[in-house]
This record gives sequence, C-alpha cells and structure tokens, in this order.
Amino acid sequence: MLDLDALMAEAKRVLDEGVVEMVIGFKAGDTPLHPQPAFFTSSEEIDQLAYNALCQNNLATYLTRFPKTQKIGMLVRGCENRSVNALVFEGQHPREGLYLIGIPCEGIIDWRKIVEQTGEEVISVVEQSDNTMLVEARSGYFTLEKHSLLHESCARCIHPNPISADIVIGDLLPEGDPALAREQVAAFADLPVEERHAWFRQEAERCIRCYACREACPMCYCEECFVDHISPRWTESGTTPAGMQGWHIVRAFHQTGRCTSCGACERACPMDIKMTYLTEKLNDDMRRKYNFEVGLDAETPTPFSTVTLDDKSRFVV
Amino acid sequence: MNLILKKDQLNHLLNAWRQDYEVYAPQSLENFTHFLPLQDGFELAFDKAHNTRIPPKALFLPTSEALLKFTRFGGYEQVPSETAPRLIFGIRPCDAHAVTMLDTVFEQERYMDPHWVARRDAAVLIGLGCHVPCQTGFCTTVGSGPFNHAGLDAILTDLGEIFLVETLTEKGERLFTQLEIATEEQSTQASEGQQAAAASMPIAFETEWLKEKLDQNFVSPYWEEVSRSCLGCGVCTFLCPTCFCFDIVDEAQRGERVRNWDTCMFRTYSLEASGHNPRPSRVERTRQRLSHKYSYWVDQINQIGCTGCGRCVRYCPVGLDIRAMLRKAHQLPSEVAHAQ
Repeated sequence: MLDLDALMAEAKRVLDEGVVEMVIGFKAGDTPLHPQPAFFTSSEEIDQLAYNALCQNNLATYLTRFPKTQKIGMLVRGCENRSVNALVFEGQHPREGLYLIGIPCEGIIDWRKIVEQTGEEVISVVEQSDNTMLVEARSGYFTLEKHSLLHESCARCIHPNPISADIVIGDLLPEGDPALAREQVAAFADLPVEERHAWFRQEAERCIRCYACREACPMCYCEECFVDHISPRWTESGTTPAGMQGWHIVRAFHQTGRCTSCGACERACPMDIKMTYLTEKLNDDMRRKYNFEVGLDAETPTPFSTVTLDDKSRFVV
Repeated sequence: MNLILKKDQLNHLLNAWRQDYEVYAPQSLENFTHFLPLQDGFELAFDKAHNTRIPPKALFLPTSEALLKFTRFGGYEQVPSETAPRLIFGIRPCDAHAVTMLDTVFEQERYMDPHWVARRDAAVLIGLGCHVPCQTGFCTTVGSGPFNHAGLDAILTDLGEIFLVETLTEKGERLFTQLEIATEEQSTQASEGQQAAAASMPIAFETEWLKEKLDQNFVSPYWEEVSRSCLGCGVCTFLCPTCFCFDIVDEAQRGERVRNWDTCMFRTYSLEASGHNPRPSRVERTRQRLSHKYSYWVDQINQIGCTGCGRCVRYCPVGLDIRAMLRKAHQLPSEVAHAQ
C-alpha cells in the first residue's frame, strides 16, 4: 500500500519550495466509489490529498489544459508517466516544466466489479493492508480480493512503475508479463471474422456518443475532434450504426502508437463499452512491427510520426 | 382506487398487456439495466439496480431520430411519428416526473413537437415507487419524492409478497380491472411505507435562495472551482432525465435530417459559425448546466429542473457530485438572502 504521508510530504515540499505552482492529484470523493482528481496550489490544501485503488482517472488528461509555461507537479502511476512522456514528445508540455511524483501502481479497481458483488448501494470502501477491500453496502459487509476487482487494463499491465518520475514514493513493483498482455489481443484475433465483427458491433453500437472516452484520454487533446468537424464530415453524427462504428474505429486508429493502455476510456464509459481490445491490438502491432512502445521515454519518435524521404511507401512523399 | 397485485401474477399480467401494447420494463443489458421491450421468456431486473442507466426519456426522445428524408434532386417527406401503443412498466417516480417537465418543452402551444406528442399520447406509464430510496438520489430535496405521482397512470408500492396498485388516471384504471381491491389495512401499510421512505431521505442541499444565489453569482470564482476536474463529456447530461437538448443535422449522404442528443457540456454546443464561442470553457458550460436546472427552469415553469434521480452523481467519470456543488453554491453571498 502507498505511503500516503510520504506522498503528502513530497507534494507539500514541492509547493512550499516553489518547485511547482500546482500539484495534480486526487482527493476523497463525495461518494465512496469515486475519488476525485484535485488541483492543489498550496501546501495547506495538500491535507486533502487522498489516494486509493479507486482513483480511476489518468491525470495526464489534464496536462494539456494548462499553459506550457506553468510548473506543474503531478502524481503519476506507470501509465500516467508514460502518457506524460508521450505528451512531452508531442510538444504538449516541456518536461522541465513538470515535476512527476511517481507511485508504483498495484492497479486500479473497476468500481463496477464492486457493485456487481455488493449491489449498487455502497456506503463506504476501505482499502486494507492485506490486499483486500472492505466494503460496507446496504446489503451488508464484504471483504473483496483486490486483485479480482482490478480493471482489465490493470490486470494485464506490463509497466506498473513510473518510468521517469522525479521521485518515486514506495518500492518498485515487478514488471508485468507481456504474454498476459497479449492474451486479450490473441483471443480476439483468433475469432472468425464474423464473430469479430459481431463483437465490434455489439460494443460500438451501445454508444450514446457522450465522448467520455475521449475526454478521459490524455492523448485525445485535439482542439477540434474529427467527429465535431462539419466540413468535410468524417463520420455520421448520430447513434446510427455507421456513426457509432465510425467513432469507435477512428478513435482507436488515432491512438496508434500513442495509447499507453491505461484503460481510462473504458472506466469513463457510462455504457460499459469495451474499447481496449481495439487499442491493444494496435499497441501489439506497434510492438511487433516496429519494436515500439509509447512513453518509455519522451524522445523516441512514434513510428507514425516519422517520415523519411526513402520511405518505401511512396504515398507520403 | 387501491388494488392488490400478487407478485407471482405480475408476469401473467405483463404478458396479457403485451397483447395490446409493446411493454417496456427494466431488463439486464451488460452490467446495467435498460428499458427494453419484453420478449417471450423475459426477465425483469428490478433487483439489479434502482434506476436504469439510460433514463426512460430516451423512449420519447431517442438518442438519434430521423425527422425527414430528402433526395438530392428535390423533394422531401416527413418521417411519420410513432403511434404504436406502449406501456412503460416500472418507471421510477423521478423519471416519470422528469417526463412531465419535458412535456413543457415539447408540448408548447406554438411549438408542438409531433414526434414527442405522438409517443407521449401512445404511452401508459406504470410507476414503481422506491420503498428503499437509492443513496445517490435526492428527489425529496428538489420537490419530487420516492412515491411522486407526476406523469404516472398508476403507481405500485412494494409490500413484500404483493404490490399495492394505486390507479391515478383513466388510462391506468383500464389496465387493472381484474384485480381485487385492497383492504384498508393494506392501504394504510402502503401509505406508511411511502411516508417512511420519503422521511428516510436526508435533505441533500438547501434550495431556499439557491436560484438567487446562482443568478447573483453569475460571475464568481465558484464556477471555476466546481468545474476544475470536469472532463467536459456528456455523461451527466445524457444520463439526466430532464436534459433534452438536441442538435439537428442533415446527413446528406443518407438523405436524412436527423435529431441527435446534444449537451451544453460540449464545446461545439455553443460554438458559433464565426468561430466565437460564448461559453468558451468548461467553467461557463458547468455554469449553464447548473443554472439551467436550478434557475432558468424555475423562471420558466416554477420548478427545479432536476428530479434528483442521482445518475449524474453515480456515473460522473471524475466523481463530481451535483449535491456537493450545490451545497457549496449555498455558501455564496446573496443580496436577497441578506435582506431577509
């Protein structure tokens, strides 16, 4: 479990010493299943800083909201750190304007999995030191194995440790198994094409186009998203099959070589739509075809952002 | 008149209604519940969740619908309104109450929305009161309640083995002609349960002077504070039973003019053709969402535009809780409040 006192002490120090103007972290939520992202600008405010496995957002999504000149501190887990690296590479914030407080991450809990077992009326949740969650619900008390509650993206996480943080609070965790991460991709790829299509349609066509997935994603920072573009129109506007499929497939493709597998898109979705089976496939392609994994540093260009004059595909030049 | 419906007779009754109506009731869809038409061998999912994920407003205002069809070389035809009779079973009072508020939007003397009107006229709403209210709900705070009658043709109260049925309209009465009449004891038991349910709900925030406070603090650091972590997605508004905003788009390729759900939380909602956006950030958009519900609706229909269903609280991806936002709003200075 995280040493919250050490985390708070470091957050206070960087604010007090003027290393940063703001620290982005989490605070306790107004409801037990939803801690809230929080923006701390003074060390007194840090007393409200809270952290548990239910902190489901990728905080890097907030980075592009602030001026590039602002010194920002951010609490980063493995995926957040890699998202920050990807954003730094894409010129969204200078690395020297950031102070990353790293936390080796034991995984984010999908609140839906708690509700599935306890019923939706949850009164309180306490993370216990023995890797369990004590949940008080209207239907009674439950002690749930933390591991069984992990969001799928976290259960198959390869890089739980912050990779380039300025300080790491706590001991580093063992790296995840890439073979495990491939399982989902392989399981989907092995299905007959009709079944893959049926799966895709079943997921995509539940969409209400609220764009929570887009807003939760640190890499979706376009000032104008392709779906908001009126001329030319890239995809149908409504919740027609074509419109919903268009959104889901193009959203995924825009993540090629950019997605850090954090799963924030799925956790934000109000319709419980699976999306990472698409982005994980693209990530897997990137690994196999280009030996590339995004965010491991902030310098290596992503394969699809490099153009050379001797590219064997002539369409680019 | 109060009637008794034995729970083991419910499915029989629902099937009987299916002869005359398309019957919608909450059923499981993925990890949540949804109003779906009953098919043979249906299973109701009242135990799984209090409220359906998507409010039943979607039965009257679909996420997308074609208004008219046109061809490239002239001519168009209106898409006929749906008039098939529908029975919505198990709608919660907050959601039914919300539908009556939407009536004031879509059924105005000069602006009658034919699709809305047709669907509403063809629908019967049978409510299920909340004898154990949900935790994120705050219906009693905003002038509704766990057994509110607004919009319903009949309401059911859970009494264990039986439902007590209160018919509220002629439409509702016609549906329950075969049932036996409740005893006075049963009626008393139901009404006590209803009162106890309402009494068990704490007041989530103070509504007195709330409108004035929001109006008078139109320019205030408060809005930046409460919108800071907002992602700017459409979860709160799309899942809201009283939000009704839409956008009309010509899908030229398929030759359809469609109406899609839209939300004030989107950047493009208020973006003007010139490129100017009067609500340029999430700060102004959050102010619009809260002020519309807690001030502008009050001006227009003298009711708060929220029925306290709690979906926005439960499903906000960053855990923003409108109840907490409004408790904070009540701390804002107000001239009216001070003058009293």
